[in-house]
Parts: sequence; structure tokens; C-alpha cells
Amino acid sequence: MIATEVAEILLFPGLTFFVWVAFLFDWLDRKTSARMQQRVGPLLAGPSGVLQPVADFFKLTSKEEIVPEFADRFIFFLGPALFFSAPAMGIIFIPILGTTAIVSNQYDLLFVLFIIAFSALMAAFLGYAAAGRWSTIAMGRLIAQYTGYEIPMIIALITPAILAHSLSITGIVQAQQSIWYIVLAPLSFIVFIVSALAELEKPPFDIPSAKTEIVGGWMTEFSGRPLAYIKLTKNLGYAFLSALAVSLFLGGPLGPILFTDPMLQAALYFVYFVVKLLFVGFLIFVIRTALARIKIDQAVRFFWMVITPLSLIQLAFIMVVWWK
Amino acid sequence: MIGRMPTLDPFVIAGPVLIVVADIIVYVAVGKLGSKSSGKGGKYQPFTGGEEQIPARGTYQSELFVFAALFMVVEAFALIVAGSFASPTNLYPLLFLAGGGGVIVAVTWWLMLVGGMRY
Repeated sequence: MIATEVAEILLFPGLTFFVWVAFLFDWLDRKTSARMQQRVGPLLAGPSGVLQPVADFFKLTSKEEIVPEFADRFIFFLGPALFFSAPAMGIIFIPILGTTAIVSNQYDLLFVLFIIAFSALMAAFLGYAAAGRWSTIAMGRLIAQYTGYEIPMIIALITPAILAHSLSITGIVQAQQSIWYIVLAPLSFIVFIVSALAELEKPPFDIPSAKTEIVGGWMTEFSGRPLAYIKLTKNLGYAFLSALAVSLFLGGPLGPILFTDPMLQAALYFVYFVVKLLFVGFLIFVIRTALARIKIDQAVRFFWMVITPLSLIQLAFIMVVWWK
Repeated sequence: MIGRMPTLDPFVIAGPVLIVVADIIVYVAVGKLGSKSSGKGGKYQPFTGGEEQIPARGTYQSELFVFAALFMVVEAFALIVAGSFASPTNLYPLLFLAGGGGVIVAVTWWLMLVGGMRY
């Protein structure tokens, strides 16, 4: 029993599975943006270049790790591993093969919210630890952006919790048997996707890692294994936030057809979940390719003046109309 | 009447710990693939993009770093308060909104006071 649970956490549908999903998301992201820009995208490693992110990861890990003269050595070396652990810890609370997650607790959504905050602040710590000009500028931008998108994201995530009367992701998924929460709280879904773009530093909110302005942003000084891990973590975060959106707004692994055989049903749950996951991922790929970067003051103003009020309007509507 | 505490799945704590441990083990193992180097001058200087040399580390906004840690603690507290909303009243969600909003306002204010909002 314990061995099964450990295998689920570390292998399938836990960490290892999501690492492969992260590689797949990276490939799909690059392929989608390439198609939209009349390019070919990754082509050589594996069929249609699907193994290119894996090849990139191992290429980076085999390169020299250079520690800059003024860097904080401890955070510089260990930080990327802790940064990676943030989304990695969150995925075990997502129901995939059924309506119950590998691990669930009545307050696990709060833990996930804390993980999201931890991830953003870990990125700021890494930027500070690198002690470079560009990474310090990027860290300031990252914190400024964080103060903009954090509150609307939390409100957007707490709205389905209020609808379900549960702070457990498993509980929220189970409460969507009759209707998905994207129908009851569409604004929250939009707010979450926009905030997720900011959390993932994707255009139009790629301000902390703006390549044409501040070199590589807060990642400028990283090389070799730490850089490989940081890039993998960003893609894992991509997959994790998409999975969270699927669970809280699109019914998680729930679907229209049910089987009596438990194995077949688990397989069907998995298929439903993956289809929805790819849908949300694709939505983010398209938005991030279609939009250009805005300035940091515009981003913060946009979150405070537009997105936060939207999230509050949806929450107020839910509390007035649907609260029982 | 005081209800009984629900039993806690040990993997709620063990699961994340297991992931962090496995992550660090793999991270250290992967580190064997490439070489490491550190030192002074030359290639160990932070990247300047062809501009003048960067100022010494001491001029950076260290208050921001301390503040980020404080922010985590306060936010965790706000989330715990929010966790009480399983009770059949809308008081706690409102408390959560007030708490979360208050924290962000305090954070932003402090950032501006210490000059950490420079970008």
C-alpha cells in the first residue's frame, strides 16, 4: 500500500509523468508559436522534434556551471532544486485517474496557493542571489508584477472553493459532477488564465525575463544544470497551472461517459484529463504567441485596475447568487 | 458539541517531503554530468552587456529580500484564516479578502518606503 502510494507520487500520475508533460508542453509551445509565425519550429530530435526539449535539458546539464564572483553560492546552487520542488509538490494534489487525488486533505488548495507564492518568491531569491545587474533589475520587476497578479489569482482560485464549500481540490472536482465551474464563474477562469500568464512570465507579462531589454532577466547569470532546472521548472509550472485550471474550472477528469469496469473508467478519466489539459495549455500557447510584451507599470496597473475588480465582481456575484 | 478532528493522511506531509528529497537527490546526481567553476575576474564577472562594470553587491536592495520572507509568513497566516471558511457563513471569505488585500497593500507600501520598487 505504501509502495503503491510512493510509486504514484514519484512515477505515475505524479512527478515523472508531469516532467514528461512539461517537456511535451515546451515542445507544443514552441511548435505552436512557430506555426503562428510561419516557421517550422523544432524538427530534428525525435518525430517532428518532440524530443527537442529533452535534448536541450541534457545538453544544458552537461555544460559548465559558472558561479559569478558576487553570487550567493548556497542559494545559487540549491535554489534551482527548491524552485523545481514548488510545482512538483503541487501536482500530487491534482485528481487525474479518478475523482480523488493521490494525496488530498481538506485544505490542500491553501497549500497549493502557498506553493504558487513560494514559486514566485523563489524566482526573486534566485535573481537576487545571482547578484548581476540584469538579474537584479528583473527581480524588482518580478516582485512588482507579483504584487499585481497575486491577489486576483487567489480570488479566482477561491471562487470555485466557495461554490463547492470545500478548500480541497478533490472536493472541488467532486462538486462539479453536475456542472463545471467555468459555466458558473467564467470571469474567474479568465482571471486565472491571465494571472497564470503573469506567474509563468509569458507574453504579454514576460517583463521579468524580457530578452530584448534585460538579456535573460533573472536567469542571466545561470548556466549548466541550474539553468536546465530553471527552464524545466517553468515548463512544469506551465503544466501544473494548466492542471489546476482543469481541476477547478473544467471538472478535472470528469466526463460524459462512465464505465462500470474500474480500470477502463480510470483510463477514461485519464483521457478526459489529458484532453482538457491540452486544451488549457493550447489556450495559453496561442495567447502568449499572439500578444506583445507590455511595460511593467502597464502590467501592474492592468492587474490592479482591471483584473482584480473582475475577480471581485465574480466573487461577489457568486456569493450573492450561488452561496447557500 | 465539539466534533472529532478528521484523520490526517500521512502522505499529505510525507508526499511533498518525498518529492523534495527525490528532487534534491536527482539534482545532485545530474550535477555530475557537467563541470563546475567559480573564481574572480574574467568570466566570473556578472554579465554587463558591454556596458560599464556593475556596482558592488552591497548597493542592492537587501530589504526586499527580507521582506519577501516576511510576506510569505503573513500570507501563510492569511491563508490559514481563509481555511476556516468551511463554516456555513460568508464571514471567513470576507476575512480572507480583507486579510489578503491588507497584506498586499502593506507589502507594496513597505516596498515603496525602502525603495525596493525601483526597476
